[in-house]
Amino acid sequence: RMNRKKGDKGFESPRPYNTTHQVVCINNINFQRKSVVGYVELTIFPTVANLNRIKLNSKQCRIYRVRVNDLEAAFIYNDPTLEVCHHESKQRNLNYFSNAYAAAVSAVDPDAGNGELCIKVPSELWKHVDELKVLKVHINFSLDQPKGGLHFVVPNMEGSMAERGAHVFSCGYQNSTRFWFPCVDSYSELCTWKLEYTVDAAMVAVSNGDLVETVYTHDMRKKTFHYMLTIPTAASNISLAIGPFEILVDPYMHEVTHFCLPQLLPLLKHTTSYLHEVFEFYEEILTCRYPYSCFKTVFIDEAYVEVAAYASMSIFSTNLLHSAMIIDETPLTRRCLAQALAQQFFGCFISRMSWSDEWVLKGISGYIYGLWMKKTFGVNEYRHWIKQELDQIVAYELKTGGVLLHPIFGGGKEKDNPASHLHFSIKHPHTLSWEYYTMFQCKAHLVMRLIENRISMEFMLQVFNKLLSLASTASSQKFQSHMWSQMLVSTSGFLKSISNVSGKDIQPLIKQWVDQSGVVKFYGSFAFNRKRNVLELEIKQDYTSPGTQKYVGPLKVTVQELDGSFNHTLQIEENSLKHDIPCHSKSRRNKKKKIPLMNGEEVDMDLSAMDADSPLLWIRIDPDMSVLRKVEFEQSDFMWQYQLRYERDVVAQEEAILALEKFPTPASRLALTDILEQEQCFYRVRMMACFCLAKIANSMVSTWTGPPAMKSLFTRMFCCKTCPNIVKTNNFMNFQSYFLQKTMPVAMALLRDVHNLCPKEVLMFILDLIKYNDNRKNKFSDNYYRAELIDALANSVTPAVSVNNEVRTLDNLNPDVRLILEEITRFLNMEKLLPSYRHTITVSCLKAIRVLQKNGHVPSDPALFKSYAEYGHFIDVRIAALDAVVDYTK
Amino acid sequence: ISEMGRSAKSYCEHTARTQPTLSDIVVTLVEMGFNVETLPAYAKRSQRMVITAPPVTNQPVTPKALTAGQNKPHPSHIPSHFPEFPDPHTYIKTPTYREPVSDYQVLREKAASQRRDVERALTRFMAKTGETQSLFKDDVSTFPLIAARPFTVPYLTALLPSELEMQQMEETDSSEQDDQTDTENLPLHMSTDDSGPEKENTSVLQQNTSLSGSRNGEENMIDNPYLRPVKKPKIRRKK
Repeated sequence: RMNRKKGDKGFESPRPYNTTHQVVCINNINFQRKSVVGYVELTIFPTVANLNRIKLNSKQCRIYRVRVNDLEAAFIYNDPTLEVCHHESKQRNLNYFSNAYAAAVSAVDPDAGNGELCIKVPSELWKHVDELKVLKVHINFSLDQPKGGLHFVVPNMEGSMAERGAHVFSCGYQNSTRFWFPCVDSYSELCTWKLEYTVDAAMVAVSNGDLVETVYTHDMRKKTFHYMLTIPTAASNISLAIGPFEILVDPYMHEVTHFCLPQLLPLLKHTTSYLHEVFEFYEEILTCRYPYSCFKTVFIDEAYVEVAAYASMSIFSTNLLHSAMIIDETPLTRRCLAQALAQQFFGCFISRMSWSDEWVLKGISGYIYGLWMKKTFGVNEYRHWIKQELDQIVAYELKTGGVLLHPIFGGGKEKDNPASHLHFSIKHPHTLSWEYYTMFQCKAHLVMRLIENRISMEFMLQVFNKLLSLASTASSQKFQSHMWSQMLVSTSGFLKSISNVSGKDIQPLIKQWVDQSGVVKFYGSFAFNRKRNVLELEIKQDYTSPGTQKYVGPLKVTVQELDGSFNHTLQIEENSLKHDIPCHSKSRRNKKKKIPLMNGEEVDMDLSAMDADSPLLWIRIDPDMSVLRKVEFEQSDFMWQYQLRYERDVVAQEEAILALEKFPTPASRLALTDILEQEQCFYRVRMMACFCLAKIANSMVSTWTGPPAMKSLFTRMFCCKTCPNIVKTNNFMNFQSYFLQKTMPVAMALLRDVHNLCPKEVLMFILDLIKYNDNRKNKFSDNYYRAELIDALANSVTPAVSVNNEVRTLDNLNPDVRLILEEITRFLNMEKLLPSYRHTITVSCLKAIRVLQKNGHVPSDPALFKSYAEYGHFIDVRIAALDAVVDYTK
Repeated sequence: ISEMGRSAKSYCEHTARTQPTLSDIVVTLVEMGFNVETLPAYAKRSQRMVITAPPVTNQPVTPKALTAGQNKPHPSHIPSHFPEFPDPHTYIKTPTYREPVSDYQVLREKAASQRRDVERALTRFMAKTGETQSLFKDDVSTFPLIAARPFTVPYLTALLPSELEMQQMEETDSSEQDDQTDTENLPLHMSTDDSGPEKENTSVLQQNTSLSGSRNGEENMIDNPYLRPVKKPKIRRKK
């Protein structure tokens, strides 16, 4: 009865048939010619009696032959996206193209029952079809020089393909499997899979599901990898990687296997040594075992994206691999691993019904990834990250227009386009801009967090567990039970599950953030009414600018008074801007008393800075980030200073630092310096304080006393006691200090004297840091540190004094610039002999050279950058060089 | 007397010997017409001349110019009759140092300048001997940049630690060893060690000599499909 009930409201396939099983057999891969030959066989059950045409997806494949139940079948192949505008010459504008492109994508959209390949069911089978009996569609195809979907990496050198490290892997954006074999390229068409790849005996083929066996061909020169994937999976989650991989069985989990390119095994060992902890974390919070019987990670070169998750395997960029000596890359790589694993549960195992349900999958995987972040890197890092993501989505929406999580498309007319402010259609994943999609994912996980705020984390995890256990039960059933659609998540199903589990109505929240786009923009200011002892808070909204929406509902305000910290929930309504908040404390009565903070801590404060008539120390609007908003709040400088010094929330501290940029006073300077010196303070806040201090120092240049900002602090922290001009030999065991040591010189180089030049003292200081840098006793590589010292040199550069646009030559080179150039030359040349990890130093040198050019010290000549931008340089170097080349157009 | 010698040698060689004997002398004397019978009486005469042994004089010991320790005794493999080792002073070396610089600041200064000089000289040499790029069209020698050359496999140099770093890692690694032993004691931790692959696995893992361990029969515990041997093809029945 249960099943019946669910079936009623379940998934209705947009296609007149269901796929139950698919065989993919690739029996020849030619690396030289970059070609693939193979066949697929789909097992299909018609769901309508008069099915005479079967539409499938296929791009750039050459289709040789189609047979249905061993009978030759006629077929038409048409990919309208190849020629979007049909020689249209009158309307050459983006809008016309965008509409035409969206129409072309719709015309082959599997979720509209369409496809590029249309197969005519042979008339002999019509009777068979009318009885809804099974059809086997067998398609022979080949692929030559694919432009997408499969990427070949073939290094141009001597030796066999395996010796050259040649490899190939599937890649692409959203549902792109049709690029390498014919299929129903939809996330909602689930079936079981048999995958066979015949490859050179020196190569390994990694694909989805269990490797059943590996068999030599008769000539013993090739072998065939046989994979079985018994968990119903969408074609879009099928992937492949073939190459001369080194194999590492995970020492903690033998069902997990890691693959990397030759020579990188030591890096692979170190990089993946952490993965089992991520597994444990997710399995624990979801109270659910990892759904597949095995997991594979493959690290490949020229990756399309850093992380790509597919059923039971993930494909990573090889550039994520690192040794134990590398500090900076380690957290980034671990984050990628954790992201990939979160998507195994939501995205791969649980798929989606339609494109408009994508936000649920991205939201949940992003949300549980956030929980992992919190556990691994701590609450500070987590809150900092949430703030960063919030700022990003807010900035994007305010600049470009709203991001809509759950678009509903009526009638298919473009007039109904819910995102008409954008220059592209959001109806298909393939018509979106990449940036929009990135922001879409960002918003999705933030909204999940809002739902968590509303219903509690416990209920949230129960909902996820419910989705997973339903899917898990369904996945083990036979196709005939019609249960597989329970592995597909939909917006309505998800919301229903939430209401069942929590008993709470989250409809207003969904309406606000999911069904409509835009963020909220608050402007806040206040006045203290001494007579009434009331805080008069005014909160205005801007909801007319693009990308904004009106917010109505509760808003939390936290007021730190002398007697303690108090939360108030205001009701934001249409016409009321002013809110009276009664204060608890009278203005400064007990001078000696300690001030209680929100977290229960009691601290001594020097209250001399504050307004004698007011008990207010600081005010925060929406401190929990429960609204997707931007807040511009006005309070006095001393309030920001108190907030920076005494508020324990890192987000509040960061907001205070940003605000203090506008108050260049000795008190701000002191507050920032104190934070900078406080070792208990979150390192990112301290890093941010460095840059704010530099800005303040520049604004205060005429009244600044003492040595340049941060110099004495740096000397005290990192230089030798006996000879303060010499930096200690590197020891990066304390990462907080390490990050501070890297950042301070970069910020110091932004200091300017009254002539708007970088003080000579600062430049010499940085040059000395470079000169005395000694990493011989360090456990860690100093490549990032040295790169940042070069960044610091670049930051110290100011525009050249130019006389009548004279040509830049060596003779008129500024002596400071000469010193900088000496260093850059030496660094860049040393990189050729002893290259640094990810060539960070080359990257910084290229950036610095562009800065010197732009400021008129060195002739503006792009030749150098063009040579570094060529294929064959490391990707980071190429990007830096291309950035510099692009900069000529600015 | 010399005639006697010559003749005695001839007799001796005549009988295929190399050392003359008394009988050779006797035959020679007889041949020369000497009456041998008279010889014992001659030898026993009363006024015969007696030659005394030469007086033994102690050789004056020349004082050794430089004595630096005892002469080395012969090692066991040299027979004792070989000449003794020469006096130690002829081969012993005593290294001499300049007064060590103990001032930290000077040391750091020296190390820094030395490294900088080496790097500068080395990169200049490389730049002089190879292709270069320049930031200034009119001058290629003041800031010579070694030309950017694309790699065939760019990720290898970018990701693998340089030799210098590897060396450094080994030197600084000792402090970390303690942490590692903990994980090595874990029961599961056996496939990360660099022991050679089992013979059975070599066919699967030709590429991969350092994979996974599986040592001492523990491989039974790891059932990973990628470690299984590749199967031989089934014999196809001819139709």
